[in-house]
Amino acid sequence: MTQTPTFLGSSARIFDLSLGQMLWSRRSVFLVLLVGGPVVMAAAIRIVVPMIGTRALQVNGAALGGSALFGMMIWVLYIRVVIPVLGVFYGTALIADEVEDKTITYLFTRPIPRGAVLVGKYLAYLACTVLLVLPSVMLVYFLVVPLNGRVGESFPSLLADLGMLAVGLAAYGAVFAFVGARMKRPILIGLVFAFGWEPAVLLFPGYLKRLTVAYYLQALVPHAMPDDSAVSVLLQVFHEVPPVAVSLAWLAGITLVGLWAAARAVESREYVLEQ
Amino acid sequence: MTTKTRYFVIVSLVVLGVGVGTGLVAYYAGFPMSAVGRRGGPDELQYVPRDATVVAYADVRGVMTSELRRKLHEAVPMSENGQREFQDQTGINIETDIDHVVAFVAPGPDTGLPAGDASKRFPGGGMVLARGIFDAGRIEALMREHGAHIEDYKGKRLIVGSIHKGDSDAAPAPTAPGTSSDSFALAFVQPGLAAVGNVTLVRAAIDNQASGQNITANEEMMNRVRTLDSGNAWAVGRFDVLQKQSGLPESVASRLPPITWFSVSSHVNGGIRGVIQAETRDEESANNLRDVVRGFMALAKLQAGSKPEYQTMMQALELGGTGKTVALSFAIPSEIFDIIGKAGKLPAKQGH
Repeated sequence: MTQTPTFLGSSARIFDLSLGQMLWSRRSVFLVLLVGGPVVMAAAIRIVVPMIGTRALQVNGAALGGSALFGMMIWVLYIRVVIPVLGVFYGTALIADEVEDKTITYLFTRPIPRGAVLVGKYLAYLACTVLLVLPSVMLVYFLVVPLNGRVGESFPSLLADLGMLAVGLAAYGAVFAFVGARMKRPILIGLVFAFGWEPAVLLFPGYLKRLTVAYYLQALVPHAMPDDSAVSVLLQVFHEVPPVAVSLAWLAGITLVGLWAAARAVESREYVLEQ
Repeated sequence: MTTKTRYFVIVSLVVLGVGVGTGLVAYYAGFPMSAVGRRGGPDELQYVPRDATVVAYADVRGVMTSELRRKLHEAVPMSENGQREFQDQTGINIETDIDHVVAFVAPGPDTGLPAGDASKRFPGGGMVLARGIFDAGRIEALMREHGAHIEDYKGKRLIVGSIHKGDSDAAPAPTAPGTSSDSFALAFVQPGLAAVGNVTLVRAAIDNQASGQNITANEEMMNRVRTLDSGNAWAVGRFDVLQKQSGLPESVASRLPPITWFSVSSHVNGGIRGVIQAETRDEESANNLRDVVRGFMALAKLQAGSKPEYQTMMQALELGGTGKTVALSFAIPSEIFDIIGKAGKLPAKQGH
């Protein structure tokens, strides 16, 4: 008689299986484009600026430091686009893809807790995205910061950026894993949440912004928010920054509650496979 | 885990590990890793003392020939007494003879002056290094006519004069044989490079260049200078040192934000475009300063709402900065100076 594997053991097994599936799926092309875009952009800047001179890196005629440019890229590309998009597309797909492909039966018929399937897949998502996003940020940093700046000076802020992005991926992933496990049309709901609800409530004063991940995540960003649009100016006017410890606690809470709720949803929900 | 996946994980971790390792080495060892030229800044910085409190640069020719200067000159007729006095004393016409200038404020000893004693602020004094086309013989003759005498210092001719003050009856304390605390010197330290300032500082400038112990060896300052180099007028300095030297009353000084460094870089042509940067003691202070600036910006934008002519300028205000740095970029379009010009001419017309 074989022994039933533990929850952690089961999660590790699913993680091992899912990591390869996630990395080498068709969705990976999209992932590579998403995280490779900023690197290509940074490489282009790195090639062009030494040819034209540092006057190419100017805002209103004054030189823009490499670390300031890096800060802008973190805000505009990673925080506002890459992290929420990865969270939506990968987080919602953890269970929804298995349902859509009608392969969830194979997982659920194994002698492992259903929740462990979700946790294992979530860990695979986290490993997959962290291992792609963080090296991408690292490359952008070393390409952009030495232009009009020095690597050593802004290095602590890079470490803060890496930590913040990993925490952001974890929080968004957990929230959208729940959406994917609990709701129909999870991508649509995820997109509305990440690009409709979150930016909208951040624009207004009040408590609603506390019902977003971005509110807590933006408090961890070591760079000033750029004034790149009228929306940014409004965001700055109503920009409240909760303390870092409070933000970290909330993000940890969102991640754990999201993951627990997603696991509960997978345990309790009966998935009907369309014929 | 398949071999392909394993390789991917290894490559990712290697990129992260190498990046973090390199960054740590750069952070702790001060490894430069800069993609642009190391020194940066104008050559005249070789004469600036290593511990200068403020360093400033201006492309005088660029500014003097700019559209902005022409408009300002037309709009607000400025008194040229100071410029004429300088020309009378030294024979140098600022408008036509000077290409660019580097100025600095040298740190002085702590004099222990009572707060608010403005007469002896910046005891280290300031000096200007002007690059241009000078008629050395004529300038020397003119200055000798005004009572200047010639000194030789390490092979350089110093033309030492004194500043006449109507109310100074008391004899000034001597700083060197044959000179007084009010003495200033002009020396052509290089062909086409004039150093004007306090005698002691001009001598020190010659020493700074010869010994190599000048501001170009001050990496902290040079890093900032490099970021400002593209503007045609800039200044960078230690705000905290200036604050100490200014002898501000404690009640005022304690209310000032804890700024350590400040810098201003601008490009003057049709209008003025530039960035004002401040570096604070810690990130919390920077956040507070950003909040204050943001508030003022919001108020200014609100005020400018009814005045379309100011809206372009307000929209160009941009607050930025990372960590301990607060940066405010601005652009004042030439149209603003047209408005100032019209406002300046209006009372004159009404008077007729």
